[in-house]
Amino acid sequence: MQRASRLKRELQMLSTEPPPGITCWQTEERIDDLRAQIVGGSDTPYEGGLFSLEIKVPERYPFEPPTIRFLTPIYHPNIDSSGRICHDALKLPPKGAWKPSLNIPSVLTSIQLLMAEPNPDDPLMADISSEFKYNKQLFMEKARKWTQEHAVQKNTGVVEGNKENNPDQKALNRKREAQQEGEESAKRSCV
Amino acid sequence: MEGSDSLDQSGSDQPESPRRRQLDRLSREEAFYQFVNNLSDEDYRLMRDNNLLGTPGEATQDELISRLQQIKDGPEQQETTPTPESGEDPTEPPEDSEDPASGDSLLDLLNTVRRTGNTTRTGHRGNQSWRAISQTNPNSGDFRFSLEISVNRNLAEQQAAAEGERETPDDTPEEPTESAPEESPEVSLEEAPVSQEVLVNAEPQVPMETEVVEEPVVEELAVVVEPEPELEEFVSQEVLEEPPSPPATVPLPVQPPLSPSPRRGQRRPRSRSPEPRRTRARTARSRSPLNLDQMDGIAYPRSAHSFQGPNTSPNNHPTPQVEGSSRTRQHVLSRQSNVDSDVQPSGADPETVPETQNVTSQEGEAAGGEGSAAGRRPPTIMLDLQVRRVRPGEYRQRDSIASRTRSRSQNSNNTFLYESERGGFRRTFSRSERAGVRTYVSTIRIPIRRISDAGLGEATSMALQSMIRQIMTGFGELGYLMDSDSDSSDSNRGANTTADLSEALNNPEAAPAAPPPAADVEEPPVAAGIRARTAETDVDEGLATGPLAPGGRARPRPPISLEEPSSLPFLRLAHFFLLNDDDEDQPQGLTKEQIDNLSMRNFGESDALKTCSVCITEYAEGNKLRKLPCSHEYHVHCIDRWLSENSTCPICRRAVLVSANRESVV
Repeated sequence: MQRASRLKRELQMLSTEPPPGITCWQTEERIDDLRAQIVGGSDTPYEGGLFSLEIKVPERYPFEPPTIRFLTPIYHPNIDSSGRICHDALKLPPKGAWKPSLNIPSVLTSIQLLMAEPNPDDPLMADISSEFKYNKQLFMEKARKWTQEHAVQKNTGVVEGNKENNPDQKALNRKREAQQEGEESAKRSCV
Repeated sequence: MEGSDSLDQSGSDQPESPRRRQLDRLSREEAFYQFVNNLSDEDYRLMRDNNLLGTPGEATQDELISRLQQIKDGPEQQETTPTPESGEDPTEPPEDSEDPASGDSLLDLLNTVRRTGNTTRTGHRGNQSWRAISQTNPNSGDFRFSLEISVNRNLAEQQAAAEGERETPDDTPEEPTESAPEESPEVSLEEAPVSQEVLVNAEPQVPMETEVVEEPVVEELAVVVEPEPELEEFVSQEVLEEPPSPPATVPLPVQPPLSPSPRRGQRRPRSRSPEPRRTRARTARSRSPLNLDQMDGIAYPRSAHSFQGPNTSPNNHPTPQVEGSSRTRQHVLSRQSNVDSDVQPSGADPETVPETQNVTSQEGEAAGGEGSAAGRRPPTIMLDLQVRRVRPGEYRQRDSIASRTRSRSQNSNNTFLYESERGGFRRTFSRSERAGVRTYVSTIRIPIRRISDAGLGEATSMALQSMIRQIMTGFGELGYLMDSDSDSSDSNRGANTTADLSEALNNPEAAPAAPPPAADVEEPPVAAGIRARTAETDVDEGLATGPLAPGGRARPRPPISLEEPSSLPFLRLAHFFLLNDDDEDQPQGLTKEQIDNLSMRNFGESDALKTCSVCITEYAEGNKLRKLPCSHEYHVHCIDRWLSENSTCPICRRAVLVSANRESVV
């Protein structure tokens, strides 16, 4: 397995010179399960938020891309409600653009970029995407709100108060709350 | 022996066992790189092509070295080792000599064969002659078993048959035994209540005698199992480690000498049974003849061509456009049903195990078709089972290409090759005819990736076992049919397999495997009336499912209709094994040849410090680098693995070959 040695090196890279706004660490000595956090970029609706991600490294890495998903709910055209990310670097060719010369830090960086610059033409969440395209104001507002609700630590409690959205939203919120609870502990330990 | 050499090297900061394992692994990886660097080009290629390199960290340097030694010695060994035993023992033993037990028995079987090294056994019994060859490549762990059985009226012919596929066409059946059974089926046809289409009925009788008589048919089935890494370890490791026992020693599995007639009798009754499937069985017989006819007519013109699999995907056969083809299918089906009934006397639940049954039966069917034919002519049936190790990184692409090449070479002899790939499953079917001998080669490759992905040793082994069992089962069926037809059972292997097979069928374990395939294929529970159809349906589905279904169909179709009959069974089997649909998206890689054509050099001291971007390791002096046309360089072993599955540069994504299509290869 090239995976082991590569990950070792990558983790080194991540600890010695982490990309700005990104942290990544191993969970419980498991080499194939990493956690990362991305700081919401300034001038984006995600500013002030801290987004947790889960990184699963496949056996065949680096010949296969890592599987990355957001643990923190995020309102983004290319990220669905379960945190999956629509990003070509996370898929194998011919569909995707993964290549072994990419690595975890570089992929995280590109995700960071994706957060700052959504790609509405390749949407995962169609409605969010059209909102982003045609009603940016609304989109920004919502995204900011979500960030406040889910990605800003002190706001954990606020979620509770917001239940009057539509029913779907409620369900979603509940789900996310559940997720978030798990994350909170992680966040505290690492931040 | 693992990691013994380099524990120290990797700092062990944590005593925990997982940690330690990681470290061991890392140290082994280092050793691996060193080892690779020190290999000569030739040796490197040798090892890579034989899948001996594994993945870095998988084996210790010592192991690698010994593998290299072995592979180098390999060729000689093979020649020396083969122990030809020839004997005729008609009195063959104990049916149950081999224990039909669980998965273990299967493994044992495999191991036995492996241990045996290369052996050839021949013998004949009654009018049947057989030859079983088992070959093991100790180095790679590849193993191949082939069984050839020919049924002749004359002893002389038997010999000939045993020798090879060169039999002279035989005359009509003289043997009472065989002929008798044959007839019965026909009768049943007429009786058969059902569903068989008119076409079917009408045809069978005519064709049967005409062509069949004249042409000896050789049928060769090859199943290639490509185990993924874990699997490798599982299967091959064991084998390798076991001390070779003298070939002679190995007990040949014997089939119970059953008189053919009784068996047949059994069948019939069943077939007659109200159940639709059984009824159909009758028809099956006719099938082989028909096929032959068709093949004759059609095959030739197109013969020289290979249809490429990946794109085409599996599907050519299914189309029922031609009458002939449809007919054939039906026959096949019917055959199957016969088989089923034979095999599973217990009457396993059709419902539960439908897949299994089908699969096996299909395979068996092919055999059966031949077998039935046997009555009339001297057929040779050849089973070819290959188990190969595959380096994890190495993909079927390569192998498939290899096989393609192989078949292509036969083109001169009027070969018809059909290759299909669907998902992880690849099937190759080819037919060649020369000197009046037809050879059918069907190869199935099954990457057991999904299973291996599970990554759990136990699970893996179980899965593997069941897979192998399935395969063996298929062969077993064949053997069984052949036996029943010829009514003597000499083939040791055949017997073995048969037993296994029947077990498998009855065995609940086998059943589990069935469900997944079913899902993929969506095989509808076959209604009685629909039975005949089922085969078609499956195929079609396969097509539809297959990535390139439409294209595939269009092209191959016409020519393929001929083959269909024979290929069908395999398709079935294929479905059975179709565990992964997601493989369809698999990117296509380069062939070994194409990879080897890329330039290679050794990293020298003068070079500026660079890092291989695949492994993120700096090049060390003496490292072998491969330079792609875009002038990006990588470690040879890193890039080769990538290129075996992909065709672009990992840095710039430029295509490594102008036309990296498999088409170009062919």
